[in-house]
Amino acid sequence: MSAQAGTVPHRGIRLDSRLRATARSEWIKFRSVRSGPLALSATALTVVAGAWLLGDANRGSYLAASPAGQAAFDPVFTVLQAIELAQLFVGALGVLTVTGEYASGLIRGTFVATPQRAQVLAMRALVFAVVVWACCTAMSFAAFFLGQSALSPAKHAGIGDPGVLTAVSGAGLYLTLVGLLAMFIGVLVRHTPGALAALFGILIVLPVLFLSIIPGKITQNLGEYMPGQAGEQAFHQLHSGAYALGSWPGLGVLAAYVAVAAFAAFALILKRDA
Amino acid sequence: MSARAAAPGAGSAGHAPPAGYRRAGAALAAEWIKLRSLRSMLLTPLLGTVASIGVSASAVRHNATGYSHLDAVQKAQFDPLGTNFNFVVLGILLFGALGALVATNEYGSGLIRTTLAATPQRGLVLAAKAVLAGLAAFALAVVIVFTTFFTGQAILSGAHAPHVSLGDHYVLAHLLGNVYYMTAAGLIGLFTGVLVRSAAAAITSMFGLLLVLPVLADKITPDAVTRHTVPYLPLNLGDEMLHHHQGLSPGPAVAGLAAWVLVLAAAAALSLRGRDA
Repeated sequence: MSAQAGTVPHRGIRLDSRLRATARSEWIKFRSVRSGPLALSATALTVVAGAWLLGDANRGSYLAASPAGQAAFDPVFTVLQAIELAQLFVGALGVLTVTGEYASGLIRGTFVATPQRAQVLAMRALVFAVVVWACCTAMSFAAFFLGQSALSPAKHAGIGDPGVLTAVSGAGLYLTLVGLLAMFIGVLVRHTPGALAALFGILIVLPVLFLSIIPGKITQNLGEYMPGQAGEQAFHQLHSGAYALGSWPGLGVLAAYVAVAAFAAFALILKRDA
Repeated sequence: MSARAAAPGAGSAGHAPPAGYRRAGAALAAEWIKLRSLRSMLLTPLLGTVASIGVSASAVRHNATGYSHLDAVQKAQFDPLGTNFNFVVLGILLFGALGALVATNEYGSGLIRTTLAATPQRGLVLAAKAVLAGLAAFALAVVIVFTTFFTGQAILSGAHAPHVSLGDHYVLAHLLGNVYYMTAAGLIGLFTGVLVRSAAAAITSMFGLLLVLPVLADKITPDAVTRHTVPYLPLNLGDEMLHHHQGLSPGPAVAGLAAWVLVLAAAAALSLRGRDA
């Protein structure tokens, strides 16, 4: 009994201060490696500069398009499309946030310091999500305004138009969810190359394969429920054709995939040796 | 005079600098051991090969069974070789990622410091890596491309759909073009890996450069700038080489892919020589 005397003073640590301490250590780890600022600036550059380029390049093609083509023209998605490239950087950052620690062996130090592994993972996801969401939402709005000014005098959207605010803030949420998906895949795979290949395979390669190998009505309908395809509907203003799901349902589908990955990640991180 | 000149090297009098070819042989041997002894370097290509052959076989099977339901126009447009190699981009990604890993694995484990201590001639190290990775990529590409071709055409002929054989016009050239494209992707990956030195950055660059960027760029209406840049992305050069339908012709496309490899090789050599490991 008395052998445990040394641990007595620790009994009183309340959950909220423990969570705060874990969050703080996760924040230090996040901001002190180079990949964070690097990946986020690459994302910002791609999204914002891409919006200007896409707006500028599509102005002429809109004016030359047929009335039907002009009606189907989605000014919000057109300028935010560069997110399809930028998601690679956010995804890589999400993977690295976890696998970097496994590669350097720091993960053992982390778990010695905080044996509550679920708490470590939860706080890491929280810190990551807050930072990435704030950055990506800011850059989505910047990209939107820059892209629309490059689009005019062709059809362009104002922030007050129906569906626009949802689409632009949906873009930030989409990137955050992609980052979280990447992070949980990183927990499952624990190796940088393997996790990256799995993530990019799911986001980019899988939809193409799936539709081409088993074509038909059913797979065509399932196609829009693929993680990337569903999530991308978040930053469409017009929802028609292959993008009929809508912004929030699309994000919801992606969030469901993230939740499944999170469940698996929490189960495995508690069970496995580090 | 001669004694003084010999003095600094006196300790190593017995070790006359080895002949160039010996040094090259040793570097090649070292790189070969590193290449073959990594389990991931054996398993990943194996799985990738099986996956890319399997994916293309099942796509061909679907197209072959659907052939009898096509109308006359679609039947006339049916391209037995194009159907067979629809998924060449999968192989390209595989080769790009593997090439990147050959370089970044060593930076990840810190082995690169030992390598450069053992062979301070950094250009030689890079050349040996490139030769071996290139040969390995070439061999793997030959296996993938020819297996894909023979299975695909066998499925097509089994379903009484149009098919081609190796002796037909342009067929061998098409297959060799695919092999060349995959080998080039492997080398692009290798040199990118040497340039960025981290697996994450290298693999992300490969997916971005080889797949996402060209797909995105395709959506932009050509203007003065994009008309002279977008066709020179590796994916478009590869497409051009294999389908020769627009703009560039196969010859310049072959040269363009070679230019990507050579420019990246030069950049990798410069950065490897100039930087601390």
